Amino acid sequence: MASFVKQTFEPVVSTNLYPRSQIDIYLQVIQQDGGMLQACINAATLALIDAGIAMTDYVCACTAGWIEREAAIDLNYIEESSDTSEVTIAMLPKSGKVTLAQMESRLHVDKLEEVLSLAGEGCKQIHQVLDKTIRDRAEDLARKMAA
Amino acid sequence: MASEPTNLAISPAFTFSASTFQKLHPLEYFRKFASQGVRPDGRLLSSFRPTTVHYGVITTADGSAMVRMGGTTVVCGVKAEVAEPRLHAPDQGYLVPNVELSPICSSAFRPGAPSEQAQVVSEQIHRVLQESKVLDLKELCIEEGKAVWSLWVDVVCVSYDGNICDAALTSVMAALSNVRIRKPTYEEGVVKVAGVDLLDDENSFRLNLARTPLSVSFALLDTDLILLADPNSAEESISQGQIVITLDETGQLCAVSKVGAASSSQQLLKQCIERARERSQELRRIMNQEQ
Repeated sequence: MASFVKQTFEPVVSTNLYPRSQIDIYLQVIQQDGGMLQACINAATLALIDAGIAMTDYVCACTAGWIEREAAIDLNYIEESSDTSEVTIAMLPKSGKVTLAQMESRLHVDKLEEVLSLAGEGCKQIHQVLDKTIRDRAEDLARKMAA
Repeated sequence: MASEPTNLAISPAFTFSASTFQKLHPLEYFRKFASQGVRPDGRLLSSFRPTTVHYGVITTADGSAMVRMGGTTVVCGVKAEVAEPRLHAPDQGYLVPNVELSPICSSAFRPGAPSEQAQVVSEQIHRVLQESKVLDLKELCIEEGKAVWSLWVDVVCVSYDGNICDAALTSVMAALSNVRIRKPTYEEGVVKVAGVDLLDDENSFRLNLARTPLSVSFALLDTDLILLADPNSAEESISQGQIVITLDETGQLCAVSKVGAASSSQQLLKQCIERARERSQELRRIMNQEQ
């Protein structure tokens, strides 16, 4: 999982602005209820922005799966543990480009497209949440500094 | 190659041999070939390297196979050991895959603890074996709650030239199909696996593989959106992303992985899956030929 997070952020973080330095991302899982990789990626995005590290875009991640002939997003632990397939997508919302696509269970090829596009939709929703959080925090900080 | 003193009007131009150019500007070197639709080793962008599979290469192992994909050679050995079952699954055996990338195969690897790459590949193989339910682990039970077979699946890379994922998984599948385990007897808490006679269908059993997933890898060069099938190590070092498609013999997807290199991927993934299907059939033909 650490390897996936590293490879997801490598093309996005502007490392050329920080020569001869290393950026460490520490992720601690406190509670697990499915969708661990997506939570790690979203948390890392927020942490990197909070740290002020330059990135070309947000990285939003979302899972989607196929449960009983219906595609669904954001599966929890019980849904994941049953014999269903699950796809995790990490996307750059501005350009719609995908930096990570991960699936580790059996799925019919025809269903893959639907599940992938649904996960993409989920990423856009996550982006709105992340964006709002960042902007609120920035306003909060600005207000406190002006006072 | 040093320039003449400045009072001369003309200084000799720099000329490089091809191998020097490759060391100084690996990406440019590659692009010169890619613009013609080929790769430095002469393959087309979508061609795979010649692959061979050999069975039973290690006589002391319970099952073994050697896979060569171009310059990458891996040997997989399977050893069955009687062990206590895990607490949560008292009637199931277990598989322990391990991939070893040591300095013997390439100067890029250092001796010591498994590198990140080796761990990632081992974990990938473990996930595929588990999620695709390749083996019914209940078949490995000797006596419920007391003794089960644990299979140590060791993949050793003998020569590294890129695409360790495909070679490793193919060798694991080939070795598992080659495994013959002597039938044990269980009495009064003691498992007896005895006999010096040769293994045959009477005194031993083979593994019943429910499906054989095989993976196909592609390297992604983001700046040019070039897809390379079966990258060698030089191509891996200049690529930014990787796509791995794992399919079983019915053509169903067992795993899809795309890392690095941001790209608008729907079309790209479809292309990969198509190519992976053809390649997976080809690989199975090669595997069945040798058996």
